[in-house]
Amino acid sequence: MDAILKTENLVMTYRVGKVDVNALRGVNLTVGRGEFVSIMGPSGCGKSTMLHILGGLLKPTSGRVIVDGEDLATMSDAQRTDTRRRKIGFVFQRFNLFPTLSADGNLRLAEHIHGNGKKAVNEETRREVLRLLRLENKMRHKPLELSGGEQQRVAIARAIINRPAIILADEPTGNLDSENSEIVLEMLQKLNRELNQTIVMITHNPEAAAVASRIIEMRDGMIVSER
Amino acid sequence: MDSLVVSNIRQRPTRTLISVAGVALGVILIVLNTGLVEGMLNDRIKRERGIGAEIQFGRDASLLTPSSRNPVDVAYAGRLREIEGVKQVSPYGLYVGAGNSGLGIELVEGIEFDSYSSITGIRIVDGRPIQQDGEVLIDEFKAQHGKLKVGSDIQVFGNKMKVSGIYSPSAGARIKVSLGEMQRLLGVENKCFSILVKVQDPDKQAEVQQRIDAALPNNKVILTRDLGIGMGREIPGVKGFVRAVLVLSVIVSALVILLAMYTTITERTREIGILKSLGAPKRYIISVIEKEALAISLIGVVAGLVISLIAGWALERATTLQLEFTWSWILRAGLIGLGAGALGALYPAIRAANKDAVQALSYD
Repeated sequence: MDAILKTENLVMTYRVGKVDVNALRGVNLTVGRGEFVSIMGPSGCGKSTMLHILGGLLKPTSGRVIVDGEDLATMSDAQRTDTRRRKIGFVFQRFNLFPTLSADGNLRLAEHIHGNGKKAVNEETRREVLRLLRLENKMRHKPLELSGGEQQRVAIARAIINRPAIILADEPTGNLDSENSEIVLEMLQKLNRELNQTIVMITHNPEAAAVASRIIEMRDGMIVSER
Repeated sequence: MDSLVVSNIRQRPTRTLISVAGVALGVILIVLNTGLVEGMLNDRIKRERGIGAEIQFGRDASLLTPSSRNPVDVAYAGRLREIEGVKQVSPYGLYVGAGNSGLGIELVEGIEFDSYSSITGIRIVDGRPIQQDGEVLIDEFKAQHGKLKVGSDIQVFGNKMKVSGIYSPSAGARIKVSLGEMQRLLGVENKCFSILVKVQDPDKQAEVQQRIDAALPNNKVILTRDLGIGMGREIPGVKGFVRAVLVLSVIVSALVILLAMYTTITERTREIGILKSLGAPKRYIISVIEKEALAISLIGVVAGLVISLIAGWALERATTLQLEFTWSWILRAGLIGLGAGALGALYPAIRAANKDAVQALSYD
């Protein structure tokens, strides 16, 4: 398997007051290129911490995090930011779109940051992404003029528009009703299949997790099962 | 244009307006104050230079120092007349008071009409010269702007006086009383502020100046042609005043922008987190906030300039104040407005760029 993401003995310990909290206790995970992996587990099991470390938002206490050949654990904050810009796309539970920008403005901002101020995305890729996510007619709308499902589709479009090596989705259906959840999950599947996009999604919803090709279960900061 | 900077400016109109007002206030402070100082000084200096006397004889302080001390003994007039090359002399007193409109200052000269008019060339165009105490002469500008005519009452030295005549052309202060009355009212008998000296041959004024210096040392003898046009060249303290206005403007503008941007950054903590999650480096976040501050400052600068020009026009119409806006001060005010905006936004921008991404994303 061509691994695009690999963690080795990943440990994360937080200091809360005078107490050390072990959020991750030696996680070893490998994700292949083009894989769709779900990480499940109860609240507090360390899955969000794991996602933040995989995305370079946090630096682990120890261990290695290799994303597309680059070890995030040895990098400075600025270097991790640069890797995130080039290789990682985030999708959040709360969509996290810029409310003052239209859907198109949100996408263009992501393109602008990815391209370091230069235009980086060709129009064909852009049209393909919008077609797959059925957003062609929504681009002039601001987030508050869109339904939750549409907002999340714009957030997915923003994450994928620069064709990152990996998409990290943090409870992407957590704020959606079942109908919109289905649509969003279907979109993620479609992107995975048609664009061979690698996706790591954390969720505590078994139905959502089931759309992935592999499900990893975490508990108390460790991976306890894979299927 | 659907950029983050423009959309933020449009989506937060109250914050934008307050910030624009802060920068505009700074610009107005600079442009109006420097316009007033330039206008009043240059107007005064131009009138001084057109006074007809080649030499002005006075004491240590600059001839244009606002003062009512009148330190020169009138007896010097007689001694000056005896110096070779001097054609005529005219002592005059000076009183500096608050403007009648409550704005600016009002200069009043005490003159001996015959010698003064002979040197300066002023003539009565309406009414008659001063014949008794309680009478004043005013120039045409004062009459027009103050809506005064012969027989009108006018407040001078805090006393109600009567306009006995209107003179032209303008020379020296716009209001003139008799030197004798000014001496009595100010309690400076036989004193004057300065003595105008007309020379026989203007080409030899420098030689006459040297002769006066030699004959009457420890006085100040100035060639009228050397009176500089321009701010702060003649008036001690003016440069300090202008500097204080500049510093105040920078502080006002920078503080307003700092507070506005600081509040905005706190409100937008989650957005900072989103930018970080998209891979925006610190310099990008700083540049977004700085661009926003600069755009707001630019609007503030334009608004400030427009308001200043309108206010200047209104002041000139409503009072006798003279304003002179110069491109150099307009440019400086603009740059100071933009600089203060950028400076004020710097701390909030750096603070935003250094926020922890995970904490910022979970901010409610």
